[in-house]
This record gives sequence, structure tokens and C-alpha cells, in this order.
Amino acid sequence: MEANVNFDPAGICSLGTVTQNLDFKSGNEMASLAARQIDYHIMGFYPITPSTEIAEGIDEAYAQGLCNTHMIPAEGEHSAAGICYGASTAGGRVLNATSAQGLLYALEQLPVQSGTRFPIVMNIVARAVNGPLDIRCDHSDLMFMLNTGWILLLARDPQAVYDMNIMAPRIGEHEDVRLPVAVVYDGFFTSHQKRRVAYIVSDSDVRAFIGPYRELQSSVRPEKPITIGPYMNDPDLINNKYQLHLAMEAAREVIPQVFAEFGRLTGRHYPLVDAYQTDDADAALFLLNSAAEVAKDGADNLRAQGRKVGVISPNVIRPFPAAEVQAAAGNLKGLVICERADSYGAGGGNLSFEVKAALQDLDGNRTRCLSRVYGLGGRDFYIDDAEELLGLGLAAGEAGKTSEPGKADEAGAAGKKAEPREPGTAGMAGEPREEWKTGGPGEAGKAADGGQPVTELRSFDYYGANTGDPGLKLEHVTKPIPADKTRQSLIKVEQDPETGRLKVRTMSVRAMTALPKRIAPGHGACPGCGIFPNLNQFFKGIDGDAVVLFQTGCGMVVTTAYPQSSHRITYIHNLFQNGGATLSGVVEMYRERQRRGEIPAERQLTFIMVTGDGGMDIGMGSAMGAALRDHGMIIVEYDNEGYMNTGDQLSYAVPLGTKTTTSHIGPVEKGKSFQHKDMPQIMAATNIRYVATSVEGLSTDMVKKAAKAQWYANHGHLAYVKLLSTCPLSWRSKEELGTEVMRAAADCNFFPIYEVEQGFTTINYDPEQRNRKVPLADWLNMMPRSRHLTSPDYRQQYEELEAEIERRWLRLKEQAASERL
Amino acid sequence: MPLTATLPKTNEHGFYEMRMESIGGLGANVAGKIFAEAGVLGMGFNGVNFSSYGAEKKGTPVKTFVRFCDPRQHIRIAAPVEFPHMLIVFHENLLATGKALTHGMAHDTTVIVNSKHPVDKVREVVGMCGGGLGVVDAIGIAVDEGSRPNTVLLGAMTKASGFMDPEAVRRAISHNLAKYPRMLPGNLKAFDRGFQELELTEYACSIKHPPEPPPRFVSPLGYENAPMGGAITNPGNTMLRDLTPSRTGYIPQFFPEDCINDGHCEYTCPDYCFTFEKGIDRKGKEGMINLGIDYRYCKGCLRCVQACPTEALRKAVEDEDYVREHTVPQLGRKEW
Repeated sequence: MEANVNFDPAGICSLGTVTQNLDFKSGNEMASLAARQIDYHIMGFYPITPSTEIAEGIDEAYAQGLCNTHMIPAEGEHSAAGICYGASTAGGRVLNATSAQGLLYALEQLPVQSGTRFPIVMNIVARAVNGPLDIRCDHSDLMFMLNTGWILLLARDPQAVYDMNIMAPRIGEHEDVRLPVAVVYDGFFTSHQKRRVAYIVSDSDVRAFIGPYRELQSSVRPEKPITIGPYMNDPDLINNKYQLHLAMEAAREVIPQVFAEFGRLTGRHYPLVDAYQTDDADAALFLLNSAAEVAKDGADNLRAQGRKVGVISPNVIRPFPAAEVQAAAGNLKGLVICERADSYGAGGGNLSFEVKAALQDLDGNRTRCLSRVYGLGGRDFYIDDAEELLGLGLAAGEAGKTSEPGKADEAGAAGKKAEPREPGTAGMAGEPREEWKTGGPGEAGKAADGGQPVTELRSFDYYGANTGDPGLKLEHVTKPIPADKTRQSLIKVEQDPETGRLKVRTMSVRAMTALPKRIAPGHGACPGCGIFPNLNQFFKGIDGDAVVLFQTGCGMVVTTAYPQSSHRITYIHNLFQNGGATLSGVVEMYRERQRRGEIPAERQLTFIMVTGDGGMDIGMGSAMGAALRDHGMIIVEYDNEGYMNTGDQLSYAVPLGTKTTTSHIGPVEKGKSFQHKDMPQIMAATNIRYVATSVEGLSTDMVKKAAKAQWYANHGHLAYVKLLSTCPLSWRSKEELGTEVMRAAADCNFFPIYEVEQGFTTINYDPEQRNRKVPLADWLNMMPRSRHLTSPDYRQQYEELEAEIERRWLRLKEQAASERL
Repeated sequence: MPLTATLPKTNEHGFYEMRMESIGGLGANVAGKIFAEAGVLGMGFNGVNFSSYGAEKKGTPVKTFVRFCDPRQHIRIAAPVEFPHMLIVFHENLLATGKALTHGMAHDTTVIVNSKHPVDKVREVVGMCGGGLGVVDAIGIAVDEGSRPNTVLLGAMTKASGFMDPEAVRRAISHNLAKYPRMLPGNLKAFDRGFQELELTEYACSIKHPPEPPPRFVSPLGYENAPMGGAITNPGNTMLRDLTPSRTGYIPQFFPEDCINDGHCEYTCPDYCFTFEKGIDRKGKEGMINLGIDYRYCKGCLRCVQACPTEALRKAVEDEDYVREHTVPQLGRKEW
């Protein structure tokens, strides 16, 4: 909502020279806005919470004709980084955005980007690194960036996200620098919190500040051929890296210049290190991003009580502003370096050592430094937490710095207690509070006198971990399923002696209600979710003991929210780049242990990987690797046509023209721009023995296919089954119409029901023969997200989609009719 | 233009604070955004708005927060609101989830509840001593006006606040619904009705008790007793959950006399609510018999109603008494 420029009671828009306006937006929205104004040539991306909205916002702007940025939805972050790298060599501005596991998956590409010196900008929306999986903020992903050769700008609030994004290309593209730049801000705390922000009204003012892109080297100038990325061993690589070092040193000069110029333009001045109330301070906290702002409120509270405390927080950590840290912290008596990430075994997070090293270089420095890991996995940081940690800093300062290395702990323990705050000063009295605020192992449970926590001045500790309730008994509400309970004499799989293919006899739907469920009720899926009827029906066809591996996705998230799990049978999660490989490892270890006699050879165990269609995008290579090696396992894909766990981004399985949050519709963009992926045919091309598709509502079709898949898996072969699965939330279809929407997808031939067994194709359900064929529009109209495709504006997309469906269907019929295809 | 209003009360950090308790799908997130936007861009306060995000799931509890302060104050705090001046409950089913919902309530907190029940009954359930309580039937009004319940609650919040300019909120609604022009008139009407129909009852509290200390969650599974590596060693324990708040008004009702035990309800139910047991059916034949629904897990999707060939399952408006009397508990049954 654009406010009247004049209606700015605090006058924040008129502090600089450029025309600005107020808005109320989140960090992700501000990153999108900056990108739209900069008008990047290319954005390669792969959705991951909490950074996804950046790409969504730019795609939406593109659809409306507000920018020209060509959006490329990669099939994974590794490819997204590759797309960005390639695009940057071709001489234009490039943007990327990611978080956590996505950053780590892309990591291999990042030194390539810096080492060959092609500037791009990437927003890193900081989030905890798996495992176990946590989608909320800490800095464990960011810390992997420290050695990549990227400039790292930090943005503490949505305003800074915008500002740093405007300055980032200017810094990275500087001719003395030519390095990729990351803008790093806190997941959810900054990415999703909406704040009052000022932005530059005119895109041309933004572009004037940044200047045109200057191409120094290009992969697409045939008249000026160059070799990018040679084979370079010793003695040369060290010189290449020294050049990178020099570029980073040049950035040390360039960044303050750009910050200063931006400050004049907008009135917002960024120092390299934000030193709050440190001039006369006895103690301070050093922390990054959003928590640093919270800590300032804590410092104010203690200042009001006469305690001299401050807060130090850098706006840049690569290059590391050592001189500015020295200036801010050099005269402190106590400094607590608070880190949202541990460098396990190092005795502090990474920045603890950089801060300590900077102070070590300062002659005569006596600052006592403590390192505290806090706020992991998005744990909230309250004002009173900051006060608690500042108290620790004051106590450390009073205890003084030990001159003997390694004696810090003893000096501390013999030193003073922290000044305990009066309980309830921040209105926070109460039992759970007290237990919580006493912090981590070193500070928890050591209440020696009168319930007040003894604060040991350990040089390193965790703040906020808790021991747990020793009286807690984990309640077992379900029992393991005895293997014979799932054996049903009425489900029989037999090999046809003539063809070698399988025949299955099933029981009635009614009789199958006697089968125990491998998933317990109480999972957190949306109402009407298709995943769970699918898994219920599929598992009915599985006989005996089974182990499941779920790749990341809705099915995984809603069944395993700690400390609860819906899985009555053994379950493993791995990230969806790698489920196929992981289950391969499980299967082969099981077989090897059987060969060695460690597990009885006759013991039957079925291994099943469960994935969404998103998992079969990013994890397709891993799944195909398992298929090509033909490990004895089942891969079952619930295809709900999109990345629904992150909010309806396009998957490659989505039909042409469909509206998703990364394929908007508008004057310029017409929904998804390419045809749906044909995963069953891709898997069939690996020549595995069994590939099948099914939907719920076709009586026992799915049960039979599960039984066949199990037979092949237990005979040492990989079987793949794809199930279409309704998503009422994102398709916006009616919750009660799951079966009907599935049936329509099959009846319009979008999702043909067939199997490819030992190379032979059989169509199990032919809507034409059964007189149930319906037009494509009938199915699309059941899903509001697809309804636009039946309007005249989308006739071209509709016809192309219809023609592709028909082409695939006719080919399938030919395959089914032929013994050879 | 000068600031058009002043905040009636603020905490020690200068904030007027609000917390909305809701479940995914009811629009609390958007309501928070609209309300905060109206206050910041429409009225000139400084402000912040955010929600307690998880994965994108409908039906799971969500909290939305709004803070307002003086325009000259720079906002630093990023932590959730613990002591709201106004607490808004988006669905009365949430009241059953207990104290955590209303923590941080003080003697003068204003509470708004979306409910059909009379204000005194709601007061009892909320456990309020003093403060303002407003009850509004947001779902009923939303159905009448073809709006979402959140715009009704925005009207109620605006009225209850005593300082928000209804025109600023209406403009923010219009701005946020710009993409859906057909939905706008109904939602503005719903906003107006929420504003007009909210009656705020002030209860005087004899004791000015301090607010309930907010329970900052301390996990009973800590580093000394949590199994290694984050493993869950008692899986299947989601059965202990109660998903009743996920429902938004409708349930399937089961009529055994019309049931032919064909099993299609169990086959299609995403939430595994049905219990079948070996027995003798009405024709005297042995087979699997449908015992009924465990409403503890039912999210009200009504797939079973659609799947039933005999109308043994029928859509009905949720009724607490019916649910209590007809639920067939699965927890503790021998098959688990």
C-alpha cells in the first residue's frame, strides 16, 4: 500500500536526497522489491523456506510486466547455482536466493563463482541446517559461507534487506572487486516480519545509483574468445587465490564508500560495525542480525539501572571488519559473543574466534570474552535474554581476564556470581521462566543458594538448552505390528509361468479394513489431503514387515513433528536430493548383514521410499541411480502437482499454463511455461522391472500394484509407482472431492493408469473403452487454480496441453498394443 | 498530516500489543497484516506484524502479532507478544485448547472471541476476571455476506481498540483485496457489521492481578533425556493429539442403521478416523463391521460422506454434544 509521501510523521523519507515513500513490508518482500527495481536479467532459483517468497514476488511482478527478470525454476539448488553461474558468465545481472540445506546443496558451486570472479547477488535467508530438519532461523547455514570467497552483507531488519540489496550489485561489480555478494538476513524474524520501510520511489533512481552492468569477461562474445575456468594446479592456484584475497581487501575499501553514498542518497547510514552504547561500556554483547536489535532494548533497560552496557553487531562479516571490532570492543571489560551456530568442538562459534583474534591483535587488550551459543533452530530471543547475557558480560568483566591460557574457566568459576536480576523485573516471573532463563548446561540446574542461578563464567557454553524432566516417561501408545497381522491369505501374487509377469488376487475393500495401519492417526495434514488415503491404500497391498524412508515433503512434515511420530513402523527421513541413495544404502547393508549371518537370511523386510513430486524433481538423479543399480526397493511417489510443503510452487509435474506461486498468470506470464514431466516413462527408460501409476478410487487397483511392487522389491529389483494425490489447499478444490478429482485426471487421460512390467506396457484403465472419457476442461475446472486455462485467453496453452496429453496417450496405446515397444 | 490518533495504553517498551489466536485457513495472518498496515500507513504509527509460521498447513494453530508505537520510535523487538493489550480468538474451538491460548491476559486486557455463544458463557470459558470482552459471530456474518471471517473480526478489533480509524482499515482491506475485486463489497460489508455489531462488555475485576506469566515452553525432553540424534522412540504417539480445532464447522455424522460396512469410508479417510471390527452384521453374516468415527482426529473434510453409497454418513453442523456422545475412541484399542 503506497502511502502519501507527505504522510510520514517521523520524516524518515526525507532524510536523503532521493524521493522515497513509506510502505509496510517484510524482508522477503523488500528483497523482491529491490530486485524488481534493479531489474536483474536472470534469476535461477529453487524454492526453500523461508526464502521462497523472494522468487514468488519477482515472478508475480514479471507476470504483471513490472520487471523483465527471466525466472528459471531449477530442479534443485545445485542447478539453480549452476544456472546463475552460467548466466553470470554471459554478461548480465543475476540473482539467487536460498536457505539452509539449499545453500549447502549449492555450496560446491559458490567458490566456482568467486574463484572465476563473476559477480552475482544471492539472498541467504538464514535457517538452521538439517538434521533433524528445522525450518526456522539460526546461522548454521551462514557459517558455511565464511570460506567461499563471497562478500557477506548482513541485514538486521526489512529496511536493511532493501538497502543492502540495492548496494550489493554496486559493491560486487566494482572493477576492483568483481566478487559475488550475499545479503544475509534472519529467516522468519526478518524475512516474514512486516515493518515500516522506506523505499526509493523511482526505479530509475535505483538504477542510476547502481549504474549499468559492466561486462569485463563474457562467455557469449565469439569475436573475443576466452577460456573460463582452466585446469590450474600449482604453482598458479595460489596466485589466483591471492587475487581473490586482494579483491576482498579492495571490497574493504569499496564497501564504506558505497555505504556512504547510499547514506547521502537515502539518509540511512550503515557503518561496517554497529556499535551501540559502547563508548563508556563495561560490557557488551556481540551478535548478528535481528537479535542484535532486540539486545539494544535489553541494553537500554540495564542502562536505566545504571549498568554500562552496549551491543556490537556487524553489517558486514566478509571482509571481516577487524579494525572496527577492535574500536568497538577494545576497551570493554567483558564481551559475550553470542552465536546462533556452533562450530562443534571448537569451543565457540566461528565468529567467536574472529572477534577474539581481532582483540588479541590489539596491544594490551584486557577484554574478557565469553562465547555463547543461543537461539538455535529459531528459538525466540527476548529482551530479558539479552539482559541475562549482558549480566554475564558484566560479571566476566569484573572477574577480569586471565593471563594464563586455558585457565579462563577456573578464573571464572572462582570469580563472581552474575548479578541476578530481580525476578519479574520484566514481568517474567514464574516457574518455567526461571528454569529457562538460567540457560545452558553451564548455567542450568546449578542453583546453589536460594534458587538463584550460579553463573559460571565458562569461556564457552550454550544458552537456553535445558536438561529435560527426569521424571518423564515416554508413553508408548502403539505396539509394533506383528508381521503375520498384515499377511492376508486373500491377497495373492503369482508369477504367470508363460509370461513371467505377475498376477494378483486381492480381497474386497471391506475385508481389507481388517489390515493394521502402518501410520497412526493424529498426523497434521490439511483437511482432505490425498497423501494419506493413498498411503493407506498402497500399504494395504504390502505384506509383512516394512521400513519406510520419506523424503522431505508434506508427508514427512505432518507425520513427524517432534516429539511425535505417526509412523508405527521404522521410518527414516533424508533430504529429497538423496532418498534413493539413502535407501539403497539401507537395503544393501541389510542384505550384506544377511550374507554375513548377522540377520537371519530368511527374514523378509520390504523397503519403501515415499516421495512427493518435488522430491522426484530435486531427487530424480538419486532415484534413477538407485533404479539403474536395481536395488530391491519400492519408490512410491505421491504426486500432488507442486511443492505444497513450501506453498504451491511449480513442480515439473505441473501441467502447462497452470498458475502456481512461481508461475503466475498476468499480461506477460501465462502460468507454467513448459509441459509436465512424464516420470513413469523416465523410470521405465531405466529398464527396471516394474513401473506403475494409480489413483485412489479405482477399487483395488492401487493395492494390486503395491503387491506387485513388493514382489519385485523382495526379489531384488526396484519398483516405481506413481500416485496422483489431491491437494485441496493449493488446488483449491473441494476437500470432499478427492476421489472425484483423481478420477477426472484419469478420465481426461492427463494421468493414464498403466503399468510397465518387464518392459511390457498394460493400460489398466482405459477411459475410452469404459465410456468415461471426459474433456480436459472437466478436470481443470474442478481445480480453481487451473480454471483460467479454460478461458479464451488461455486457448493456446489449453490446446498445447491437450495435444501433448493426446500424443502421450496415443504413444502409450501403441506401446500397450505392441510386444516390442 | 498529523498523527490522527494516540495509543490508549502502551507497555514499558512503548508498544500497544495484540495477539491473534487462530488456526491456519481462517485468515488471521492476513487480518494482522491489514490491521497493522492500516495503523502504519493509514494512521502514521510505527508498527510490526508477524505470525508464528510453520509449514504451510491448513488447520494447525497459528498466532499472529501486531505492535504499534510512536512513529518516532525505531522498532527493534522481534520476539512474540506475551502480554497483549488485545487478544483475539479466531475460533471458539481453540478455547478448548486451554490456558496457553489466553496466557499473558491482564486485568484490563480486551478480548474478542469469534463465537455464537452469549458473552457470559464465553467469559467463563476464557476464564476472564476483568477487562473488556466482545463476542462476535464472525462465521455467521461471513456466511451472510459472502466474506471471510477475518474481515468481520477486523471490524470488531477496530471497534474494540478505541483508536483505530475504521476508514484506514477499510482502505487497507481494499488494498489487500485489490486482486479479488468481486470479493471486496462483501468483505467491506462484513467489516462494517463486525464494527457495528460488536458489543464490548466491561468486567470490573476486584483484584488488579498481574498478568498470567506466559509459559515459555520448556521441553520435557531435554539434553539429558532426549534419545540420541533426535530419534522418536515411541512412534505412533500422534494418537495422543486432539485435532478437533482443525474443524471449521462441519462434521460427518454416522448412522449405523444405514451402513452396509463396505469399507469405502475407511478407504478414503485421510485421518484414519474409522474403526472396523470383526462381527456379525445386520443380516447375520460375519464380516468387518463399522463401529464409527473417532472425532478426535476428524478434520471435517467430509470425504467419507462423499464416498458412502448409502447415506450412512451425512454432513452436519458441528455440535459439541453430538461429538462427545458419538465418538468411537481409538486410543487404547487393542489393535494399536
